[in-house]
Amino acid sequence: MDLSLLPQALVSGVLAAGLYALVSVGLALAIGVIGIVNFAHGEFFMVGAFLAYQLFVSFGFDPLLSLLFVAPALFVIGAIIYLSSIRFVLKAPELNQMLLTFGVGIILQNLALLIWGGDPRTIARVPYRAIGYKIGNISIGLVPLGSFVISLILVAALYWMLARTPLGRGMRAVAQNRIGAGLVGLEVNRIYLIAFAMSALLAGMGGVMIAVIQSPTPTIGFGFTLKAFAIVVLAGLGNIRGITIAAIVVALSESLVATMVPNGDSLRNAVFFAIIFVALVARSRRAY
Amino acid sequence: MKRILATLVLAVLAFAAAQGVTIGVLAPLTGGAAGTGQAQKAGFELALEEINAAGGVLGQPLKIIIEDTKADPATGVAAFEKLMTEDNVEFIAGGYSSGVTLALVESFKTFQPIVSWIGGAVSGIGIDNFDGIEELLGQEEWFFHIHPWDYANTEASTAFQVYTGVDTVALLHEDGAFGGPGAAGAQALLEAAGMKVVLNEAFKSTLTGGTGDFRAAISKAAASGGEMLYWIAYDGDAQPLVSQVRELNYHPKYIFGAPPGWPSDFDKVPEAQCVTGMIGYLPNLPNPEAQAFLTSYQAMHGTAPDNYMAALAYANLWSYADAINAAGTTDQAAVIKALQEGTFRSPMGDWSFKPSIEALHQGFGAEMWFIFQFQNGVREIVWPVDISTSPLQTCP
Repeated sequence: MDLSLLPQALVSGVLAAGLYALVSVGLALAIGVIGIVNFAHGEFFMVGAFLAYQLFVSFGFDPLLSLLFVAPALFVIGAIIYLSSIRFVLKAPELNQMLLTFGVGIILQNLALLIWGGDPRTIARVPYRAIGYKIGNISIGLVPLGSFVISLILVAALYWMLARTPLGRGMRAVAQNRIGAGLVGLEVNRIYLIAFAMSALLAGMGGVMIAVIQSPTPTIGFGFTLKAFAIVVLAGLGNIRGITIAAIVVALSESLVATMVPNGDSLRNAVFFAIIFVALVARSRRAY
Repeated sequence: MKRILATLVLAVLAFAAAQGVTIGVLAPLTGGAAGTGQAQKAGFELALEEINAAGGVLGQPLKIIIEDTKADPATGVAAFEKLMTEDNVEFIAGGYSSGVTLALVESFKTFQPIVSWIGGAVSGIGIDNFDGIEELLGQEEWFFHIHPWDYANTEASTAFQVYTGVDTVALLHEDGAFGGPGAAGAQALLEAAGMKVVLNEAFKSTLTGGTGDFRAAISKAAASGGEMLYWIAYDGDAQPLVSQVRELNYHPKYIFGAPPGWPSDFDKVPEAQCVTGMIGYLPNLPNPEAQAFLTSYQAMHGTAPDNYMAALAYANLWSYADAINAAGTTDQAAVIKALQEGTFRSPMGDWSFKPSIEALHQGFGAEMWFIFQFQNGVREIVWPVDISTSPLQTCP
């Protein structure tokens, strides 16, 4: 074990947590407010990445500029999917809901395959992609730093919206008791629609950031969906406030194992499965 | 009664002959290796058009049925079994990914069609407690392997690495059936050539559920001080890997990548310039067969082939057509004999099947490979020097 790598592992882990939090918080929103486990969440992320790629190819847009266009596009896509499918299974058994979202994910993947093909697509020119600031033995990449800051701003904005705005208070009320919220005059269906569309928007913005870092493919969402589920489980299903801390725990654990253990990068998936396992066991013990 | 049966048998045989020969093709048309699969498809389509324009096979138009493996072992096995049980093909072509090929071994042995395979380079030779494709299928009369084995790949790349004059190499590889054995073989050959492998580290590829964050592995490579960074992984890993090498301020003299293919537009990525790789075919290869292939390919597909798998697929189908025509029948023993004895065309020049370390029928070896370097958005041939289009440059 080379301890001189420890500071870099800590920095890389913390910076990765920002993107993890952004991808996970949308999933937590869908679970917490609507009560639906959305297996298509990673596909919203994938669609965001491909839209950023397309805006670069068609108009030469930098991914940062793309965020302004991809965010409303994903909001609309999320809303359409909610209105055309999700709203019909809100009272259905959970298994039906999961199967529906799984199907929506497959449809989105295949649409991406038809439009962009299966070949990894690269946003060729991102002038800041390879910039890294060296401080002692540590390199801080501009892209991971930027995505960390943008992600935290977006997550903080979501927290603020939930805490301080009538819409956010409505979401919290619906999350606590959908029947009670309806009885006091809240438009539950409208809140569900907005929450689901916002969940897609947040995933899509994460997708734009990942399009800077790696080459999008129709299956790019899979790895991030797994991580998002680990983070949501660690935070507690539907606990939106716990997402940032859980994201830091998952990202740091991964980074430390990947860096400090020989061939540790291969163990990344084992790390978050271990975290899911420990979180579920600990929670079940506490329940007794 | 006997006369009726004989007439029926003859009628069935005549009907079968009139239907022409159909070859089943397995390729990853979708999924993380789709770029390579689509290149294979383009190569097969070009060969098919040329074969049928030249009179087809046994006087009938040749047909191919391409099934998508998605570079996924389970999907690959299902696709192969569909070709055997629903389409009733007698010949299998294509192939990609050692993981998929290893998963297919038992199914191949069950059905035993003629398999002429352009993917799956993992031989298993020299690796303890692991049986590779050459070891598992090499002695089967019906198995023909066209792509060079992993030790031939590393033999060619090691010759180039010796040429660069570096003393230390940091090896990063994806942790699956492609990267692990490939890296073990590379390390043995590099050390035998007198170079020191200062790191041999696995990482999770984007093709197998990784998220493209390779900073941990690259940090170790930077700390090891390897003068050459040598990575073995898949297409989708190329861009994040080279970008993060720069981001983490790792400055090896050379970066050598060994993916099966390169992602589209990678040549335009500024961080990719100076990256070297090994390939069996490039449009700027000077031999006349390569130039003829380029002209036909551009006429059919509108672009130049950017993946050597297109050239291998082209050679794969033409060898089947020439062998079946030479045999004058689809009888398995006769076609095997024709494949064993024939000399076939390819964009890389004429080739034939010869024995390798443990296989009866091996197509290409280390001589197929040459080294290119991304320079100003173009893949320039830099080694062997006698066919180079530009001198080798060190990375900034």
